[in-house]
Amino acid sequence: MNFGMMRHTSRAASAWAVPLIWSVVGVAVHGLADDRSEMAWTIEQVVTSVKESREPSVSFEEATYSSLLTKPLITRGVLRFTPPSRLEKDVREPYRERYVIEGDFVTIESERRNMTKTISLDEYPGLRWFVDTFRAVLDGDVARLTREYETALEGTRRRWVLRVRPRSQAGGVPVDFIELSGSEGRINVMTVRTADGDRSVMTLLPGPGP
Amino acid sequence: MSARRLVPAFWLAFMLYGIWYGAEKLSVRNDLSDLLPEGATETQRILLSQVRKGLSGRLILLAVEGASPAELAGLSRSLAESLRTDERIGMVANGTEVRSKKELALLSEFRYLLSPTVTEDTFSESSLRAALEQRLHDLRSPLGAVIKESIPTDPTGETWNLLRSWSMGEGPSTYGGVWMSPDRARALLLVEARGSGFDVDEQESLHRAIRASFGEAVKKIGSAAQLRMSGPSVFAVEAQRSIEAEAWRLTAVASGLVVSLLFVSYRSLVLVLLTLIPISTGIVAGVIAVNHWFGFVHGITLGFGVILLGVVDDYPIHLFSHLTGRESPSSTVQAIWPTMRLGMLTTVIGFSSLLLSGYQALAQLGLLAIVGLITGALATRWVVPACIGTGFVPIEIRTPVQGWLDRLSKGLVPAAVVLILAVAVLVWSDTPMWEQDVGRLSPLPEEKKQLDQQLRKELGAPDVRDLLVIEEATIEDLLEKAEAVTERLEGLRAHGLVKGYDIVSRYVPSRRTQLARQRALPDRPTLERNLKAALEGLPFTPGLFEPFVEAVEAARRDEPIGPEVFAGTMLGIKLESLLFPQGGRWMAVAPLNGVGDRTSLAGHVEQWGDESVRYLDLKEESNRIMTAYRDRTAQLLGWGMAAIAVVLAVGLRSAVLVVRVLTPVLCALLVVAAVLRGLGEPLSLFHVATFLLVVGLGLDYALFLNRPECTGEERLRTSFGLLVCSGTTMLVFGVLAFSKTPALHAIGLTAASGSLCCLAFSAVTARREGHAV
Repeated sequence: MNFGMMRHTSRAASAWAVPLIWSVVGVAVHGLADDRSEMAWTIEQVVTSVKESREPSVSFEEATYSSLLTKPLITRGVLRFTPPSRLEKDVREPYRERYVIEGDFVTIESERRNMTKTISLDEYPGLRWFVDTFRAVLDGDVARLTREYETALEGTRRRWVLRVRPRSQAGGVPVDFIELSGSEGRINVMTVRTADGDRSVMTLLPGPGP
Repeated sequence: MSARRLVPAFWLAFMLYGIWYGAEKLSVRNDLSDLLPEGATETQRILLSQVRKGLSGRLILLAVEGASPAELAGLSRSLAESLRTDERIGMVANGTEVRSKKELALLSEFRYLLSPTVTEDTFSESSLRAALEQRLHDLRSPLGAVIKESIPTDPTGETWNLLRSWSMGEGPSTYGGVWMSPDRARALLLVEARGSGFDVDEQESLHRAIRASFGEAVKKIGSAAQLRMSGPSVFAVEAQRSIEAEAWRLTAVASGLVVSLLFVSYRSLVLVLLTLIPISTGIVAGVIAVNHWFGFVHGITLGFGVILLGVVDDYPIHLFSHLTGRESPSSTVQAIWPTMRLGMLTTVIGFSSLLLSGYQALAQLGLLAIVGLITGALATRWVVPACIGTGFVPIEIRTPVQGWLDRLSKGLVPAAVVLILAVAVLVWSDTPMWEQDVGRLSPLPEEKKQLDQQLRKELGAPDVRDLLVIEEATIEDLLEKAEAVTERLEGLRAHGLVKGYDIVSRYVPSRRTQLARQRALPDRPTLERNLKAALEGLPFTPGLFEPFVEAVEAARRDEPIGPEVFAGTMLGIKLESLLFPQGGRWMAVAPLNGVGDRTSLAGHVEQWGDESVRYLDLKEESNRIMTAYRDRTAQLLGWGMAAIAVVLAVGLRSAVLVVRVLTPVLCALLVVAAVLRGLGEPLSLFHVATFLLVVGLGLDYALFLNRPECTGEERLRTSFGLLVCSGTTMLVFGVLAFSKTPALHAIGLTAASGSLCCLAFSAVTARREGHAV
């Protein structure tokens, strides 16, 4: 339990510290060069450049930190995105499970539970939020993102952090915030933090993976 | 001379009392379930008590439409929120809160007694290990957040297993967290009223409150969305209000026509006003009598009763037609009184059969008609003459009138032809003799029924038609029997005879089953040992599952629970509809859905050879109830006719005259039945009840036409009076025949054609001049 809390604190610290240092350094180094685009690094630019350089699939490694656990659980697999809105999470290890999100529905194929079923995203507001954010960023749809969510962008072009929170907490969303961090048009890490402090940290690696 | 003043004064006092009574004592009730029959068989009584009190009658289906899905979802939330504060509403479901916190807490507390997946093996080392590994996987899943909280107390997932075993098929589709039709055109809500769904007044005020809440929600966000409501209570309100509105509107139209006809016939406004005396007396007295006897007057009785009492108008018409100006009105009335009295008595006998029908609606109607007829006749005998001056002559009756009736009286051959045709129609018509489908008596437009079907489909709240009914002496016996029936139903489901079912033991197992589950729970040392071994090498925080061990330990000491534990929750409401006391015993109802072959299903249930389990087809059964009451009424009508014949024989003291009087009435009934059948209208309870009225009218006509009269002028006056009587009757009921309400239409058509036929046949069979006794 303590371990989890510690991890969380250190992680949050680095999430804030790194962009801060970078921005200070950035301003110092590039100040004279008057790099305007660096100064005015906006959410529109993040989203546009993510859209430009997105790949059809990336492999991921997801670590789940929970107060119930003594160490994080690691899950590996591949994420696929087909514009404008099809998203697929293909879990390969330690078991095989596939989530295909199309429109407002999620189809779950689970080997361990020996089932295939389709649920509505509406039944899982937390999941809907995650999916919305991810889709909006990948598809360059800033308007949708800022309409329903509160967004805060920090850092520079080379190292940015985008934090997303819903505008209203209706429907008992158990998620506190989602944080995307990346560099230029690449998302490196996607963190989902729940209200009770548990987190899942998904590191994205280029290429389709195993 | 004193009587001339005393009688109207007395009458006036009575009417004033009536007005006071109407304002102070009269209780008009509009609960449609009051109109339901008692039920002849045990099965029917169960069915009827279900209809009266059952859950399905109390459900209101709401649809919000005409806006964007997001707007609809918002409206659904705010409407549900405001409705949940209404005392009269037991439950509002719109998809946001499927189970309340209290309910989930109860489920979780008693999960080891309730869950069907609890066995000894659940707590073995290997099962625990498998369960714990699954929970680790759950934590990684994107849906893990939902389940995380319950892991320390319930690592084997019993609460979830329990909820899964309870969910019957797929729920309604959702959008934005609330129920919405698959095409997202409508947000759907389900409201359960606490009071009877058939108490029209109470339901109407509830519906108004729902509409007002919706109006506010819409106003707040400036939406153009609309609310539509459906369900038995909505139907009940609409049916009753439309019947009432039509009854009053058509009565008003008919009254206008009758007044015009009377004025044209007698050319005297005073006289038209005087005809109102007997009818208003009749209505007041009838209503007071019904209110005294039954404790209330049903709104429907009042509407129909006033229409039926329209025939009281015939009495003053007879009187006016016989006024000559040569003798005083009281001697005129004395002259026609024996005939009038006999006609009134026979009509009363006809209506008294309604009193015995055992159907409260008809009994009230019968009493109202009887008292109304008697007092109406008495008012004609005593009050009206006292109000008329001696020399009062309404109008000189002209001869063409006599011409019509004379021509009619020579129409023996055409009458025979009509009778033969009628018999032919009755024998060869394709129209079924009796109306078998109660639903067709409903005044609701087809479009409303379709909306209801649509909403039910989208909500997954099907209209229940098929039931299994289980009856036992105690709740425990009943639950054990229900568990046995569940196994059999599973067999039927495997064979595809039923698609699904709901049964009380699914939610509350019998004590026996709960005790068996309790015995399967391990003691603390065993569980701790198994858990420790199962946790070996898994990354769970040490001591995490202490709440689980405590919960199992507590469950070992729990007393088995009964359905009463869930009182005040949504599940509690459901249980009340699935299990209830009935006449000192307990009864469970298992609604079946997706029944394909009803005969085969009935056969299977029969084969179980268990008398305490019965299969019930609600539609079939309610049709059977209506049929039983119609047959009973028809039977009573037969006995009534016999009694009428006896009274006539006593009153007329002549077998020939009895035949002369009865023949046209019977012929008229035959022709009316043929007309209805020829028009493609199967006979319903309402037709049969109206036959009584036709009998009364016909006897009246025949009696007057067969009066021993001396002069031709007398005959002329009688004929004229009968023409006016029959004319008013045909006007009143002819107007009703155009009603869209099946009951009013049936009454109107039957009585109007009956009046015409009675007059015609009476004229044909009336004694000719010179035959006078």
